[in-house]
Amino acid sequence: MATVGRRERKILWAASVPMALLALSCIYPLWFAINNALKDNRGYILDRFGWVNDPTFENFVTAWGRARFSEYFLNSVVVTGGAVAVLLITASLAGFALAVLRFPYRRLVFIVILASMMIPVQVVLVPFYKTIIGLGLLNTRIGLILSYTAFFLPFSVYLMAAFYAALPRELTEAARVDGARFWQVWWFVMLPLGTPALITLGILNTLYCWNDVLISLLVLQRERTLMVGITALRGEYSTNVPLLAAGIVLAAAPIVLIYLVFQRRIVAGIAAGAVKG
Amino acid sequence: MSAQRRKAIGSKAERRFAALFLLPSLLLLLIFRIIPLFWGFTLSFSENGEWIGADNYVRAVGDTNFRDSIVNTLLLLATLPIWVMLPMLLAILIHQGVPGGKLYRAVYFLPAVLSSVIVGAIFNIVLRYDGSLNAALKVIGIDAVDWLGSSSTALGSLIAVQLWSTFGMSVLIFLSGLSTVPDDIVEAARIDGARFWQRLFLIVIPSLRPIIEFVAVVTTIGVLTSMFGLIYVLTGGGPGTSTTLPEFLIWLEQGRLNRPGYAAAISMFLFSMMAGVAYLQIRIMSRNANV
Amino acid sequence: MKLKLALLASTIVTGSAAMAQELTVWDWKYSDPVTAAYYDSAREAFEQMHPGVTVNFVAQPHDQYYTLLGTALASGEGPDVVLLHGGSQTTSRGADLADLSGMSEGFSGVDAFSADGATYALPLTIQGFVVYYNRALYEQAGLDPDAPPANWEALTSVCDAIIAEGSVPCFAMGNKEGFGGEFHVTLATANSFTADDYTAWAAGEMPWTDPKARAIVDLWVQMNEGGWFSRGANSTAKFMDEYEMFMRGEAAHTVGLLSDVAHWKQFDDFLMPENLGAFAFPTPGADHAALPFAGGIGWAVTAQSDEQDLAKDLVQILTDGDREAIFAVDTGALPASNAVDTSTLSSPTLSVILTLMQEHPAGMSHAIMNQAVLEEWKRQSQVLLNGDITADEAIEAMELARQSNM
Repeated sequence: MATVGRRERKILWAASVPMALLALSCIYPLWFAINNALKDNRGYILDRFGWVNDPTFENFVTAWGRARFSEYFLNSVVVTGGAVAVLLITASLAGFALAVLRFPYRRLVFIVILASMMIPVQVVLVPFYKTIIGLGLLNTRIGLILSYTAFFLPFSVYLMAAFYAALPRELTEAARVDGARFWQVWWFVMLPLGTPALITLGILNTLYCWNDVLISLLVLQRERTLMVGITALRGEYSTNVPLLAAGIVLAAAPIVLIYLVFQRRIVAGIAAGAVKG
Repeated sequence: MSAQRRKAIGSKAERRFAALFLLPSLLLLLIFRIIPLFWGFTLSFSENGEWIGADNYVRAVGDTNFRDSIVNTLLLLATLPIWVMLPMLLAILIHQGVPGGKLYRAVYFLPAVLSSVIVGAIFNIVLRYDGSLNAALKVIGIDAVDWLGSSSTALGSLIAVQLWSTFGMSVLIFLSGLSTVPDDIVEAARIDGARFWQRLFLIVIPSLRPIIEFVAVVTTIGVLTSMFGLIYVLTGGGPGTSTTLPEFLIWLEQGRLNRPGYAAAISMFLFSMMAGVAYLQIRIMSRNANV
Repeated sequence: MKLKLALLASTIVTGSAAMAQELTVWDWKYSDPVTAAYYDSAREAFEQMHPGVTVNFVAQPHDQYYTLLGTALASGEGPDVVLLHGGSQTTSRGADLADLSGMSEGFSGVDAFSADGATYALPLTIQGFVVYYNRALYEQAGLDPDAPPANWEALTSVCDAIIAEGSVPCFAMGNKEGFGGEFHVTLATANSFTADDYTAWAAGEMPWTDPKARAIVDLWVQMNEGGWFSRGANSTAKFMDEYEMFMRGEAAHTVGLLSDVAHWKQFDDFLMPENLGAFAFPTPGADHAALPFAGGIGWAVTAQSDEQDLAKDLVQILTDGDREAIFAVDTGALPASNAVDTSTLSSPTLSVILTLMQEHPAGMSHAIMNQAVLEEWKRQSQVLLNGDITADEAIEAMELARQSNM
């Protein structure tokens, strides 16, 4: 951004005030969660908004131990990591095929993939569960990994296809004409070229998989994932908010961390991907 | 075979590899989404294992709760422009170098990271009758409003909370789109004396059109299928039916009321409603993906 | 008790071969830290009885519990043992549950889990509604805390005095999920329903235009218009916003439970026993106020379990006197097993409750009615509180819902 006029500077400063308030509202929940995670339940009920008086780490200990978060955490890492890896590979393959290669019924295939994005989870709950059982995937991590891949795939394929289609023609044409060695083309050319889109997708899908409750509840009933563990902390009647907050802090911490670390990469990656044609 | 035609369908090797590359995706979708969809369709013609024909659909048409949930969905869809415009405006401002922009960019995404459980718990406390929002309004002399409890404000409040918890994602998408708007064109316009707003409306926004459409699509899918968590925590579908969306009704029928067949029938209505919206979106998306 | 266990053990030893077996149990209580001792003790007792058989307790999130259970049972891959609420949540699933009627001796509240001569679950707790009041707030309003209202007129003058004093609402009210309205169904009918009425009500045969059913709606409107309820009831969750309000001393009364939460034990902890009192809810024209209660939650064996005998043994252990005593003391529940000595649970308020339960018992009409009709009433109760519709319109809507869910 070169020179900015004084008038524009005024507009931007004026806009910054409501934007700062909005930013505060976005930080507030984190403060709320951490602050209340340090209270005991009685302290929370008697004073919900105030600063914690004598902080206790009891809730974190309970969450990690009794609520078995240490096990759930590992499950979540394995399942999320596995699903994201499978998602990125399959989406990149399909996106490459749809955007670059030429074959019959290409449009139809694309439309079928897009249309399956519109199938809400609730619509397929019972049949989906029966499918999982029929394939012997109940209570297996691989079952959950494949389920996640299936549920978040349409969007990922779309994004990869759109990304590859936006690349300069010469690049993709060359890749296509290069014939027969499509594997190498995909591995050495398309995958590296797709890095910015893959990073974005990686973050989004990590978020979806990590935060999912419903699919995980159905597929993994013995060993659970972190979010299911947290939801199970919410009792029938009472919610022990401090304990829940401690669980949320534990579960959100890795995601926030990943986001903050990769934040620059997303934007930098996108800037690199914006090849001017 | 003409050259043109050969170009459209590709060489034999190309077709074979295309099929191979698409196979994993198509197989997964077929097994976990498409077959279950048709299976669910057959379930909607039965209740408790008995075949009852189209009864569930007849019941749905006469069910005032279901009709209310459709009206609520339409009201929700009517707010779509806000869901797109607000993040776009924020992204443009950040892109234009608003003071503190880098910080905002990082922070706006935080609500999207939190699960609806904690977002709900917090807004429960903020929006309740004796909550902090009413306390703040009292200071500036506005009477207390039962945001989540009165029929006129509950849906609006719910929508606002969902918007708050997802706008950061859209801001990110717009920001990535903005980085592809060629700086030199914007710069040229500036040198030509175009004002801030002129540059915004004549150059920046038109070049963002694919992103705008993309955000609209993603948002529509999101609001139609992933608001259950917030509804459950914030309003429980009430008061009356004022925040009951089809998704919530499906949950109620399937679980507490133990009528899976009826739930499946409502699901099919939800799917066909989405398919209607989807038709428009597929057209937009396949154009944008250049396929 | 010992003899019974020994007998059972011998039948099992002869009946089943020793191999790696596992029972899966679903509930929504296991994750609650206060239940740890109860589950640990049950697991230990069971594994001692059946070495080599492991019990896998799985706590499901309560909001998805019945959705999951329905999905699992429909797929034939459900758990072996499940926790269920009494009333229609159990009886409507009768086809998927094993009949436990041979084991149901020695319990109170079995009716809530029984239908057509079969018993589908053994009760763990007794649940009921009683009005708790804050004695300190009574004194503040110039009322005698030792003379709680015994009839409708007395309750009306108590609320008048509390409202006139002006610092707190008469009743803390949370109706966000419609639970305020749900509880009210039972309160408004406990003093008027006869045994025949309960049967008709459960079958959906009593029209909402019947004076006894009408009274539910009219009384609700009357209390609302009298300004008895706390403001913003429709955005206040009964669990636990309403009760926390009462525990902070911000309301004179609340309609609380006998088990789980929001009961004498929890209120004692917050308000101190000397500040807490309880009475049964009086209604206009009733000569005495009855205390409604029934079986609360109970353990059932699914019909599709491959391990019927093992599962039944586990249910027996989960509901025996020793286990229910642990559950009662740790969570403050009223145990359903008659083998539990309730004298270990002591509080002045509890003795009032136990006396009421003996003198004037009544049924829980909300728990036995059709679930879909109950859901409709929850919705109507909310719009009635907002004043969006009249009592007559609500009655018309309820009658329509009753007829379409017969």
